[in-house]
Amino acid sequence: MTSEARLVPYAPPAEEDREGLSGWLLTTDHKRIGILTIGTALVLFLFNGVMALTMRAQLAQPDQHILSPQGYLQFMTMHGTGMIALTITPLAVGLGVYLVPLQIGAPRIAAPRATLLGYWLYVCSAITLIWGFLTPGGASSSWWGYTPLSTSTYSPGPGQSLWTAGFFLSATGMILMSTTTLWTMLRMRAPGVSMMRMPVFCWTQLVTALMVVAAFPPLLAALAILALWRLDPSLFTGHIWNVVYENLFWFYGHPVVYVMFFPFVGCVAESLATFAGRRFFGYKGTTISLLAFATGSMAVWGHHMFVTGVQVNDYFSLTSIMLSVPAGIEYFGFLGTLWGGRHRYTTSMLFAMTFIPQFLVGGLTGILVANPAIDYQVNNTYFIVGHFHYTLFAGSVFGFFAGFYFWFPKATGIMLNERIGKLHWALLTIGANTTFIPFFILGYDGMPRWMATYPAGAGWTTLSLISSIGAGIIGLSFMVLIYNVYVSARAKVPAGPNPWRAYTLEWATSSPPPRYNFNLANPVPRVRSYAPLLDIWEQQRERRREGQPWAASEAPAPGAPAPGAQAAAGPPRQSPPDPPPSGPGKER
Amino acid sequence: MPFRSQFSWLFAQNTTIAWVVFGLVIAGMAVSVLLSWRKRRRGEGPARRAAANRLEAGYVLGLFGMAIFLVVSSFVANARDFPDPPKPAARIQVLGYQWCWQFHYAGYPVTMTGECQAGRLPVLVVPAGEPVVLDVTSSDVIHAFWVSYLRFKTYAYPGHTNTFTVTVPKPGRWIGRCAQLCGLYHFNMDFWLQAVPPATFDRFLRSDGSLAGAGAS
Repeated sequence: MTSEARLVPYAPPAEEDREGLSGWLLTTDHKRIGILTIGTALVLFLFNGVMALTMRAQLAQPDQHILSPQGYLQFMTMHGTGMIALTITPLAVGLGVYLVPLQIGAPRIAAPRATLLGYWLYVCSAITLIWGFLTPGGASSSWWGYTPLSTSTYSPGPGQSLWTAGFFLSATGMILMSTTTLWTMLRMRAPGVSMMRMPVFCWTQLVTALMVVAAFPPLLAALAILALWRLDPSLFTGHIWNVVYENLFWFYGHPVVYVMFFPFVGCVAESLATFAGRRFFGYKGTTISLLAFATGSMAVWGHHMFVTGVQVNDYFSLTSIMLSVPAGIEYFGFLGTLWGGRHRYTTSMLFAMTFIPQFLVGGLTGILVANPAIDYQVNNTYFIVGHFHYTLFAGSVFGFFAGFYFWFPKATGIMLNERIGKLHWALLTIGANTTFIPFFILGYDGMPRWMATYPAGAGWTTLSLISSIGAGIIGLSFMVLIYNVYVSARAKVPAGPNPWRAYTLEWATSSPPPRYNFNLANPVPRVRSYAPLLDIWEQQRERRREGQPWAASEAPAPGAPAPGAQAAAGPPRQSPPDPPPSGPGKER
Repeated sequence: MPFRSQFSWLFAQNTTIAWVVFGLVIAGMAVSVLLSWRKRRRGEGPARRAAANRLEAGYVLGLFGMAIFLVVSSFVANARDFPDPPKPAARIQVLGYQWCWQFHYAGYPVTMTGECQAGRLPVLVVPAGEPVVLDVTSSDVIHAFWVSYLRFKTYAYPGHTNTFTVTVPKPGRWIGRCAQLCGLYHFNMDFWLQAVPPATFDRFLRSDGSLAGAGAS
């Protein structure tokens, strides 16, 4: 039986982390860097969300002036840039920093100081962007920062300069963090963890890192051009430079959409597989489709420019529509996993299952707008706003919460309250759909984006009001989430190593995991597939059936649900109960 | 009836497919919930099969077929969207600027503009049933010329002209808007597209751009 336990492949360094606050801020522990990143992103999520709520208050009625036109554009620019550069991308990348080493049985992340530098660059970018937001005039050219509007000729203030610097810093930080997760996956997998035995979540992180590394540098180039342009407008005269900026920007701007999508596909996949009680269906097809999707993501940027009159529309229509093939394969993976499973409807599972149809709305409208003939009408209208909020909010954010409720016990060692969690889910689902469905109709009816206010006679009042009410419900749901974290932090229901009976390596170690993830008390179990703990349980069941009672009589070990956790999460209600995975090695 | 027929059929076709796909996914999820409930009632464990090569190959092929069909539809609509332009009745320079529009009729001393506020919107006058060429450009930042009724928009770049031909089928008046963020008063940059009978249009061109003088309203 000792053959099932493997020693940690890398000897942990002797140095220990500092105590207290500096132990967090100067940490080289990927778990702490991951928690810092996710925590910072969630705080900024609330900040950017307040921007959105203020804008929805303004648009609830026609001809309102809660915000001046200038103020509205600043809020909108901060909301867009903040959600993309400071919230969803860091959430996506931060989940990887936390989970990837755990899921591949590595004791640490590769180049932890570079990862930490990435986090601090991200913090600097947040400070710079918010500083720019607070300067008089601020940045008001939307998150695209299209030239020449964003140049010093038309946006002379320091706000736009700070926006340029802040966006640059954020992209640099994300490149560093993604590079280290990629490096970790390629070089630091535990013995037995081959590439094709990495969990689905790791694969989503791998393609995410590839896209960050390939697509973020063009943004740095675009922002460098903008910075120089702001210093000396005479350097960039002529129509061509606007087109250069747009192409460089969207060469980043489309892949970043998938950066903000795939890690949450990974969350959904892990949650669905665990709570359907079975292996993720179609693993091979899903990994291949993820790689194909990441490759294709580099060739679709021009669909943001269908109406510019300076783009090759047929080609980008072809590449964009063809992305429906890998996306469809991933959807069949979801459905195949649900089909034939025995579901447990935990909060995480509810978020994951809601992700499926809601993201689908974003994906299907994405196919619509991949047709230039349709995009000529709906581009730059609320139809597009509805489309990308269905992908990013009703999709990615729901995927994130599927992961949040799933891994919170692992990261903290305590359970979140499931009843309050389900209330959060219900409010968020109602709120998101009430907010974003009207956008499609408004856009079809001719409401452009970026409207600081609108006339009473335009016929947009009722739908705008419905949308604003929905935004209020979303705000309320976030209050419920905060309350849940508060209540759960006080109740301190212990999670145990594996409260959900999940299958991947992070659930074989303690909650929260030890400093170097696995140790002699929590060894890396033997890995023979992308669901290693499930393999062990199935093997033990086989042995029991063959009349080897010693397999079942072993002491509970890593991976076994803690009794207290079951009380909080609801017992798995499986019969007969599977024996815990074997986790000997304590004697070694 | 919308003006660009390519938009109408393609939008209807794509939306129908989208609804069918959405319905199938919802149905698939609903069935999986029912199957799960049945498994629980019968005390069965979850399925253990994690791959089905034939099934997977089948749906990959199906997805490819659907994607190719959609791409061909998109190409067909694109090819039909801009047929060789007939001889135009007028050529109009559409100039966007912060924050209004100016419409200049090439070869005539007629220029229409307005203030884009307090109801004094500029009017783009075109002959109903006759093709006109629009040369869209800008004098400062990027704007976008959009008339929702035409189901079409195009960018107005500084230092570059986007040209398209349009035939408005019937007399009438429709709102047009700027569809690219262009600064502070982007939300105010509205204009009217007004189609008048060809005879009225001729009189309009010869009367220094006064629609009242041309006998139209």
